[in-house]
Amino acid sequence: MPIPWTDFAALAPELVLAGAGLLLLLVGSMHRFESHRGLALTTEVALLFAAGLLWVVARRATMPQVILSGMFVIDRFAVFWKALVLIATAATVVLSRRFVEEAGYKPAEYYALLLLAASGMAFMVSGIHLLSIWISLELMSLSSYVLAGYFKRQRRSNEAAVKYFVLGALSSAILLFGISLIYGATGQLQLAAVAAAVPKAIHDQGTVLLLGWFLLAAGLFFKVSAVPFHVWTPDVYVGAPTPVTGFLATASKAAAFAILLRIFYQGFGQLIPAWQAVTAAIAALSMVWGNLAALTQENVKRMLAYSSIAHAGYILIGVLVVNEVGAWAVLFYLAAYVFMTIGAFGGVVLLERREYAGETYSDYAGLARRAPLVSACMVIFLLGLTGIPPTAGFVGKVYLFAGAVKAGWTWLAVIGVLTSAVSLYYYFGLVLNMYLKEAPESSFRPASARGIVTLLAVFALITVVLGVLPGPLVDLARHSLLPLP
Amino acid sequence: MFDWVRTVPILSWVCYLPLLGVVPLLFVRGNRAIRVWATGVMGADFLLSLPLWFAFNPSGALYQFRESHAWIDAIGARYEFGVDGIALLLILLTTLLGFLAALSSWSAIHEREREYYVFLLLLQTGMLGVFMAMDLFLFYVFWEVMLVPMYFLIGVWGGPRRLYAAIKFFLYTLAGSVLMLLGILALYFYNSSGILGWKGLGNKATFFIPQFHDIAAQIPAGLQFWVFLALFVGFAIKVPMVPFHTWLPDAHVEAPTAGSVILAGVLLKMGTYGFVRFSLPILPDATLRLLPWMAGLAIIGIIYGALVAMAQRDMKKLVAYSSVSHLGFVMLGLFALNQPGVTGGVLQMLNHGLSTGALFLLVGVIYERRHSRAIADYGGLATVMPRYATIFLIITMASIGLPALNGFIGEFTILVGAFSRAWWWGVAGAIGIVLGAAYMLWMYQRVFFGPQEHAANRNLSDLNRRELAYLVPIVLLCFWIGLYPKPFFRRLAQPVDHVVRILEQAQARAASPPAVMPAPPEPGGGR
Repeated sequence: MPIPWTDFAALAPELVLAGAGLLLLLVGSMHRFESHRGLALTTEVALLFAAGLLWVVARRATMPQVILSGMFVIDRFAVFWKALVLIATAATVVLSRRFVEEAGYKPAEYYALLLLAASGMAFMVSGIHLLSIWISLELMSLSSYVLAGYFKRQRRSNEAAVKYFVLGALSSAILLFGISLIYGATGQLQLAAVAAAVPKAIHDQGTVLLLGWFLLAAGLFFKVSAVPFHVWTPDVYVGAPTPVTGFLATASKAAAFAILLRIFYQGFGQLIPAWQAVTAAIAALSMVWGNLAALTQENVKRMLAYSSIAHAGYILIGVLVVNEVGAWAVLFYLAAYVFMTIGAFGGVVLLERREYAGETYSDYAGLARRAPLVSACMVIFLLGLTGIPPTAGFVGKVYLFAGAVKAGWTWLAVIGVLTSAVSLYYYFGLVLNMYLKEAPESSFRPASARGIVTLLAVFALITVVLGVLPGPLVDLARHSLLPLP
Repeated sequence: MFDWVRTVPILSWVCYLPLLGVVPLLFVRGNRAIRVWATGVMGADFLLSLPLWFAFNPSGALYQFRESHAWIDAIGARYEFGVDGIALLLILLTTLLGFLAALSSWSAIHEREREYYVFLLLLQTGMLGVFMAMDLFLFYVFWEVMLVPMYFLIGVWGGPRRLYAAIKFFLYTLAGSVLMLLGILALYFYNSSGILGWKGLGNKATFFIPQFHDIAAQIPAGLQFWVFLALFVGFAIKVPMVPFHTWLPDAHVEAPTAGSVILAGVLLKMGTYGFVRFSLPILPDATLRLLPWMAGLAIIGIIYGALVAMAQRDMKKLVAYSSVSHLGFVMLGLFALNQPGVTGGVLQMLNHGLSTGALFLLVGVIYERRHSRAIADYGGLATVMPRYATIFLIITMASIGLPALNGFIGEFTILVGAFSRAWWWGVAGAIGIVLGAAYMLWMYQRVFFGPQEHAANRNLSDLNRRELAYLVPIVLLCFWIGLYPKPFFRRLAQPVDHVVRILEQAQARAASPPAVMPAPPEPGGGR
């Protein structure tokens, strides 16, 4: 059966990203083209172009449109996540500029990998076939492994890449094994067909199916770094170049959550009680362990790594309650989380020097005097991550916990609010250093990077505006929901 | 004369004027200009809030100056402002104390003044919003917003252990308020769609507070119990009730004078305000069920706070612990659940704000001169600082409840309410008053009378004009409430009636449980 060209048109944004990535690789191999500015600009233009195409695609995606023989679907849900991935990637490019320039490696590779990873994510959130999902996931993951090790001559970056790669490959293998078990039990790979086959399969091949689901879920929990599949996170987050860390913590996590939602809702809606119980335990563990471990960190990147683990826990609450409030809370919260987290990593980027200096809490001492604007933005991001109004993080957390209370998962909500209160301690440890302590003699001065500062200011403003007037984003999230199973 | 007040969104103006004042403050040059501007904004805000007092109609609608706008449609949260008599008094207290606190900071704060006044103004907006919000969601937003500037005020401009005190304050209050959030959500879902096996009421999803007052009788006792506990943690930490009070001495001792004034004068009232606005009228059955516990904690607070205050060597710490005792008194009045008790409790919130605020200001005055708050460092001050001694004496008398001053009216009304609820509540309260008189007078005696043993005290200058300007208004108010409290009682009558009536209905329900449903007639009965 020939595939109509309109199917490819619907995937135009992803194709543009992938094409631009390949183009950059090609250009990068030619020695003459090493203008950092040009490369970053090209990347941003590619992202902008993809965004424009996404806009066109989105306007036509009022009804879910299944394309490429049932491999992908274009629906509002997918469009929402694609837009989020594009925003996160574009912000990452802004943060990367100086880093890449100072590192002195081939810059084209960096931007090419970033674009390829982004296209993998954008493909993945559209995937409705376990194999297309797996392939997109691999495209995203393989690019990320290399990005984490981009600082080739630095041992911490090497370590991060190797750890990420070994554990990531293992999780991919587990995920693939899970898929094969599911195929064995149901004879299907397309999510809708799997869902249709589940009632019979659970009867005939219950153990195989559940094991398959669990292995598949484990692979996804690895990607969102939920406890106990989180062990790679701190080391990779610390070792990877900071903009890459920001990218992993936001775009990668958001895309993984999107596909997790899609698989759970559209493929395994029949198994709700089973996956609710497992996911609840994982959410609780992530919230508790992420927040407790973050308390003792000296290194800000490591703290943010544990905080991202904790946030995976909060967001999982919204996934597992399976009601409307919880479902749009996931979308809203991840959008807010992208702005807040990239913002926080942006602050780290500004302060960081080569060889990873400027990453500890004490390096932030007295920052408020030296860089009042950046510090104020950081306070807003940290307030948002803690979940204190008037920030988007607060509104998002309220929705997540509201979903839990409504569905009767009150104990999860209690853990959520109490651990949020705990998180204040480590987030405000940073504020304490910035505002309440005096700068030592040899203090770090944030780099003067106008682009990054502007980005931080804009993201801080968005964080506050979404906290005061969340209406528009809430409406967008409510219109982008998957149908509840 | 004040009709214009009803034609403008006066509450929003009062609430956001300090926030608006922040913007020019970022561009003002020179420390003096910063001080003048910030104080001017506070003063203007106070003046703007004054018409509320006159335009408020004590026999009119329960909530007045209403403002209502759509906000977050998806969950039914709305921007609802409005005040009843209780909120009115607390709003005026807040604008007054905010202004006085700004005025008192001129000589106390010498570094990072711009940031200091920015946080002071932000704090003011947050506090005012708490008292004005009639939507639970909005209320909660303001409730938490307020924590951040207070954290900075303590943390940056506080005493030697400020870092510890600031984070302790923040953590305690945040831990309490997040649980409160869960309680709010439970109420919200019960009202609309039901939760946890409780079939909801099926009303429109809303956070509108009067709506919850209306459904109070319909909320099942089991749900009320858990929600009460969740709210209790949030409010009790704020009050603070023993055993949730340990953050208070740290925060007070380390905070700068203005921070202490606002902390004691306004922030603590938010806990008691929460009880009278939410716990009592929304959860009346749970209130009745937990009454012995609440009264017990209140009485323990009264006695314990007084005893610990007596043992203090640091003036500020003494005043801080006296707050624990006085707020216990307020709680006792509120949980007497009758007209005099609740009225007295609310009035005593105001009184405590005035007298304790003034005490912190007074301690700040002497601290700026001598840089010591130890009682032992003073003695015989009455001869060198007569004006200071006089005002201190009046405030001390107000604090211990001498007739003709405000404290007497409040404490007396509370005792009337407490006695009519249970005689031993009244006795415990009376013991608290005696102890209060003891520690306050003893401190006064040690500081102002006796021989002058410290040379440094000989040349202390008396109050200057600016200091008089922020102390005299409080003294006058203390006399006003003490001599002619009727305008205050009039404004409180209606909202207190509203709360008491809900509780009386609950009591009636508890006394006569609904008749057991008659058993269905046996099929083919009456053979």
